[in-house]
Amino acid sequence: MQKQLREQIERLKAAGATYVDARWYPVEESNQLTMWNGNLKNAAASRESGVGIRVLYKGAWGFSASSDMQNLNRLFDKAFDNARIAAERVTFPIRLAEKDAIQATFNSPNQIDPFAVSLADKIAFLKEMDEKLNQPGVAQRISEVTFMRKQIIFIDSEGSEIEKNIIEAFPGIQVTGLDDQGVMHSRKFSPARLGATRGWETLDPQLFAENAERIVREMNQVRAAEDCPKEDRSVILLPGIMFLQTHETIGHALELDRILGYELAFAGGSFVTLDDFGKLQYGSSKLTARADATVPNSPGSFGYDDDGIPAQDNLLIDKGLLVGAITGRQMVEEANARARRAIFNGSGGANRATAFYRVPIERMTNINIDPGQDGSLEDIVRNTEKGIILDGEKSWSIGSNREQFHFATDIGWLVEDGQVTKVVKNSTYKGATVKFYNSLSAVGDESTWEVRYVDNCGKGQPNQIMQLGHGVPVCRFDNVRIGE
Amino acid sequence: MKDQILQTLHDLRAYALLKGVEAMFFYHEEDSYLMRFANSAISLNTNEHLIRLEITAYEGRKRASYELITDLNKLGEMKQGLDIAAEMVKHAQPLSYQPTLPLYPASFADESGFDSTLAALSNEERLAFFNEAVAGLETDEIKLSGIFSNGSNITAQIDTRSEHTQYFRTSDAQVNIVLAHSLLKWEITAEQSAYRKADLNPQSLRRDLAFLRERYQNDSPEQIPLGKYDIVFGATAIGDLLSIMNWVGFSGGALKRGYSFLTEDQLGKKIFSDQFNLTDDPTRLETFPYQRDIMGLDRGPFPVFEQGVFKSFTWFQDDADEFGVAPTGHTVMHKSLVISGGEMEVSTLEELVNLPRENDLLYIPFLHYMNLVNPSKGLVTASSRFGALLLKKDGSVVVPYNVRVTQSLLDIFGEKVAWLAKNQVVNNTSSSYGARNPTAVIVPAFMRVNDLEISHSNTSY
Ligand SMILES: [Zn+2]
Repeated sequence: MQKQLREQIERLKAAGATYVDARWYPVEESNQLTMWNGNLKNAAASRESGVGIRVLYKGAWGFSASSDMQNLNRLFDKAFDNARIAAERVTFPIRLAEKDAIQATFNSPNQIDPFAVSLADKIAFLKEMDEKLNQPGVAQRISEVTFMRKQIIFIDSEGSEIEKNIIEAFPGIQVTGLDDQGVMHSRKFSPARLGATRGWETLDPQLFAENAERIVREMNQVRAAEDCPKEDRSVILLPGIMFLQTHETIGHALELDRILGYELAFAGGSFVTLDDFGKLQYGSSKLTARADATVPNSPGSFGYDDDGIPAQDNLLIDKGLLVGAITGRQMVEEANARARRAIFNGSGGANRATAFYRVPIERMTNINIDPGQDGSLEDIVRNTEKGIILDGEKSWSIGSNREQFHFATDIGWLVEDGQVTKVVKNSTYKGATVKFYNSLSAVGDESTWEVRYVDNCGKGQPNQIMQLGHGVPVCRFDNVRIGE
Repeated sequence: MKDQILQTLHDLRAYALLKGVEAMFFYHEEDSYLMRFANSAISLNTNEHLIRLEITAYEGRKRASYELITDLNKLGEMKQGLDIAAEMVKHAQPLSYQPTLPLYPASFADESGFDSTLAALSNEERLAFFNEAVAGLETDEIKLSGIFSNGSNITAQIDTRSEHTQYFRTSDAQVNIVLAHSLLKWEITAEQSAYRKADLNPQSLRRDLAFLRERYQNDSPEQIPLGKYDIVFGATAIGDLLSIMNWVGFSGGALKRGYSFLTEDQLGKKIFSDQFNLTDDPTRLETFPYQRDIMGLDRGPFPVFEQGVFKSFTWFQDDADEFGVAPTGHTVMHKSLVISGGEMEVSTLEELVNLPRENDLLYIPFLHYMNLVNPSKGLVTASSRFGALLLKKDGSVVVPYNVRVTQSLLDIFGEKVAWLAKNQVVNNTSSSYGARNPTAVIVPAFMRVNDLEISHSNTSY
């Protein structure tokens, strides 16, 4: 098949295409199991294979995809035709940043292939969790696992040929219960990534058992708690909400295609402009953020992106100063040209597609916050006068330019004069992005830093769901409005 | 094509019977075209032709499913899929209830929502439509974005309980156009939904865009003060609010799991404004309807709210099975929700702006990134976007920076409703996640709700 794809790529090059690539997925599999109140509601598996063709012609993209590989001629021609018509409406002719031709293979690290584990063993794991969660106060209990495996073969007209074999495991448990007014509250757990591995072995029954007990206890505390006050306080975000804060207001805000207006029709833009790179004080000097696709155990690491660019670790925010973005080959060229200065030195290797039938776009890798110097969670609490500790993403809504946000969390613990005083329910906080990050007053050390994953990040039209990660410490922000 | 699909389903059924497996086959075929615009260029032009087959195997109270992306010429692969589902179900765990497998009384086919000329639009036609809709409206600073998405969709089903089949074919188009000022960062939008080619009307989009563009170019923007406003929601905002209510309001499964803001004792009681009537109406072809559900139940107009009184939850078969409730014909990929028009004679934005008004009116056409802060209270939050206007009572118009609204659906559709527009609009709510599923709701063009709080007001767009 590789030979046939190479021949087709050469054929379109000879016909005038500037660039052609093919992403062939010989196999992509998933396996999803959901146990809800003891019922195995969902026992599903899926399999797909196919190829996606991307053609650049006279500065415009055309794309086509099919699971039917019998007629490659037609499929490649379709992509070329789509590029030809797109070339009739070009404002900035697409150029691709320079890269090296690469022949390589990437295998995600894992010890036990979850697709080799029997269904019975997987169900036994869910059943064990379900029994642990079946406690007084719990109205709904959910245990679920999703496993993914994909093989991707990338071939382009610049001489690259890359094979990727990626396995992911996404387990999680959740409980909900009602308070005396009939309002639902929930608490959930999915494990932070530990060790340099991504397979079945990440489902540690002991760790899950401990956390099952904890989330039931905390959910029952929330059910009995008073409402979160409506006032200004310092908010101390645990990694279980800090990951999403980072995702929504650093990650999405720094996708270069958003900054350049390529997502305006749907997901939105960004308050960041090209002028801001090297100038904008995005946060306080305690804030250092990076796009690190080399974290071994996270779905935000994939070896080579779908432009064939090797994984990188790039600074985004350096001690508060905006210095980088999440980039691919096309957007860095356009950004540098529009800014009339070399903001970006080549692609950052973050162009990815969710499936063979979608086109690669700029996606987060692992958007991480560096650990800081302010000690453990206990140290940060001890040094907080009037605060609230928040954890667990419940709801998130972000302005179309990522300039402001509103989050609700599963739980809050009030802090008064360095002491945790009580749990509150219906906790929320909101803010304006740049003001918020500039109020960052404490960043926890390594002991607070965890790699969290996101398995459902949506972007693009047609829409694409992507898996990625966030390594984040405990962070404290001052004078934040809560309880609205 | 239809014959080949149904024959394949019959072949698969025969194979399942031969293997002694109880099974259901759900066939989905899409031919999807999407031309995406950004920065006044075509940023992506794509076509995907995909066939998905979902096979669910049953064994007593056990159930397991296997889905593959395949092709009609790969019967062997599909049969292997059945084998895998059959193997999975052996190891599955019994449910606490008996899941229902459909028993189709007769074969059913519906192609009334299919227009071959819409399904087969050419690249040239998509581009020409866009060029006409924005003719003369772009400048070096005012850039065009948007999508022209169209295609065709086939779903078909068979199972081992009968030899009858169900077959549905629709065509659809969704057009969103955004004009955005690259320096000032304002954005305006207009959109259209179609199930047949004759519904496509670039001139009407151009009219809406031209009107808003005039406002946004000539009126200087303001950060408006926090506090209570009389808000007029546009059709897209109403459609979004309705979609979220469909999820955490009248769905029986959500109710039983504690995710709904409605309760069983509210049935028959007045919950919303008496101007509020909501029906699931599969006779409206604009909603790409299913006139039968996957279980084979006939679907007709189904009242959910009448004059604000809550009439019925809707049940998905699996929830109905689990909670021992009679199914309501709502095991469908999407409902056909229709909010009735009201009394107010206002059809266009221009007419709204010219309406005499005793108070300031904040017009919010679009709610960006809505999420549920508290499902049990129906509390949602979202920001305004795309062409909001503050219509002052003195007749002047101000362009507001984006604002955030955090409110309960009980208030938004409750006694604070002042009026609903008589004229209804089709709002295409399709998302392009996963398998193509063209979806639209029909809602009043405008809805005025008094006394709603703005909790955040931006200092820029
Ligand atoms: Zn995301």
